[in-house]
Amino acid sequence: MLEVSGASAGYGRVQVLWDIELRVDEREIVSLVGPNGAGKTTLLRVLSGMVPVSSGTVTFRGDLVNGRSVEQVVELGISHVPEGRRLFPGLSVRDNLRLGGWRGKHTDLEPVLELFPGLTTRLDQVAGSMSGGEQQMCAIARGLMSRPELMMIDELSLGLAPVVVDEIIERLPDIAASGTSVLLVEQDVDAALRVAARAYVLETGRIALSGKAQDLLTDQRVQESYLGLG
Amino acid sequence: MSAFLQATVYGLLQGGLLALVAVGFSLVWGVMNVVNLAHGSFVIMGAYLGWELQVHAGIDPLLGMFAAAAVMFVLGYAIQRWLINLVVNAPIFITLLLTFGLSLLIVQGMNIIFSANYRSISTGYASTSLSMGSVRVPLGRLIAFGIAVLVTVALVALVNRTRIGLAILATGMDRGAARLMGIPARHVYSLTFGLSAALAAIAGTMVGTVDTFSPAAAGSFTLLSFVIAVLGGLGNMYGALLGGLLIGLVESWAGLYLSGTWVNAMAFLVLVVVLVVRPSGLVGRAYYAARVEV
Repeated sequence: MLEVSGASAGYGRVQVLWDIELRVDEREIVSLVGPNGAGKTTLLRVLSGMVPVSSGTVTFRGDLVNGRSVEQVVELGISHVPEGRRLFPGLSVRDNLRLGGWRGKHTDLEPVLELFPGLTTRLDQVAGSMSGGEQQMCAIARGLMSRPELMMIDELSLGLAPVVVDEIIERLPDIAASGTSVLLVEQDVDAALRVAARAYVLETGRIALSGKAQDLLTDQRVQESYLGLG
Repeated sequence: MSAFLQATVYGLLQGGLLALVAVGFSLVWGVMNVVNLAHGSFVIMGAYLGWELQVHAGIDPLLGMFAAAAVMFVLGYAIQRWLINLVVNAPIFITLLLTFGLSLLIVQGMNIIFSANYRSISTGYASTSLSMGSVRVPLGRLIAFGIAVLVTVALVALVNRTRIGLAILATGMDRGAARLMGIPARHVYSLTFGLSAALAAIAGTMVGTVDTFSPAAAGSFTLLSFVIAVLGGLGNMYGALLGGLLIGLVESWAGLYLSGTWVNAMAFLVLVVVLVVRPSGLVGRAYYAARVEV
């Protein structure tokens, strides 16, 4: 569904990504892990049209993604839950969700509230006043409002307690099953690999490893570098 | 006592009009972080449009203001879309310079087209007065005040209750996140600026019916807008209304007891006092407190 082939990108003269090959299939959870500064966030920015590619292509369901504006990429059915959540802090949870459904004018909150029932009682609360975990749930729910075919989540666990992270990650298989593939960028490599079908390890702007998440969990290099084992 | 009452009524009426002058300025500043120094010249343009329509087409300014608003909306949209959007990410000095230049251009243009003479839009009702006991209420100013309040309330309803209004608020809080929702930020910015220009045009037409105007007044309307927007709380429409009323009252009261230049100083004295006590303005800036720049 999402195909990245030979993509390179960067900011101005600083190249960050080299020759990236990556693929996400329908109803699939794919994790993208790697150390700080490896280019994970930049890769997501390329996929959502914020950063242009200098070479290579990104296609989604056969449509070219690179060259489109951020707004046009949303039209294609790709939703990006950005690092730090970036809720509209002064607006209510309800308004945040409504804004998530801007594309296609989706106003039915029911499906996302079913996924995150905890938000139901928070609908009229100002988003900025919620706890980090609730804000992340709200951000993911907002990202789902446009009924995307692919949702990219950047640093889901940022600033959250492990138990909250587990609670949110547990929802991802339901999201994938309902027809929205998930591309997860995550520092918590163990959690990221357990929930995903496949995974990519990004190191200094290049894909260093890729394969079934199960295999990567037992890979010696991954265990030593990311899981603190070995 | 009756002089004080008279000054109070007059101040409130004038204040409502000032609020209408300032509300668009405050909207643009709050949403886009652009201090539009051409706002006063938009007000004067609106006044001339209303004047032209009345003199050459015989259209009453109460109708003409809608036509003036429509023209200025289109112009404002275009200015934002193809001019200010180019530099909206640049440091605020660049937008200040750009809108200052724009203001000079518009004011000189109006000097050439309309001359620097004072004009006013004369209507039958502007000179009529209602008497309430010992207090005289000029009908023209009462109408202008009513329109100012109605338009401000309508603007608040538009921003808080409609889909596009929500998009304007969201884009103002976090443009990057708004774009990720598929909200076309450039279009939303242009709409906001167009809306602001349309409000300036309505204000200008109303100013024209109750007062004289000339291109040279553009600067003082910009300055007043600035004071009122900061006084009320940036980007807050009710704040602008409150700030306008306060400035109107203070200037009117000051005119009663003080002479000449002191009257002008009082508005700024009030601004300083309010900012010392409440740095975020009368109504605050909670909506935009957590603005994120991308």
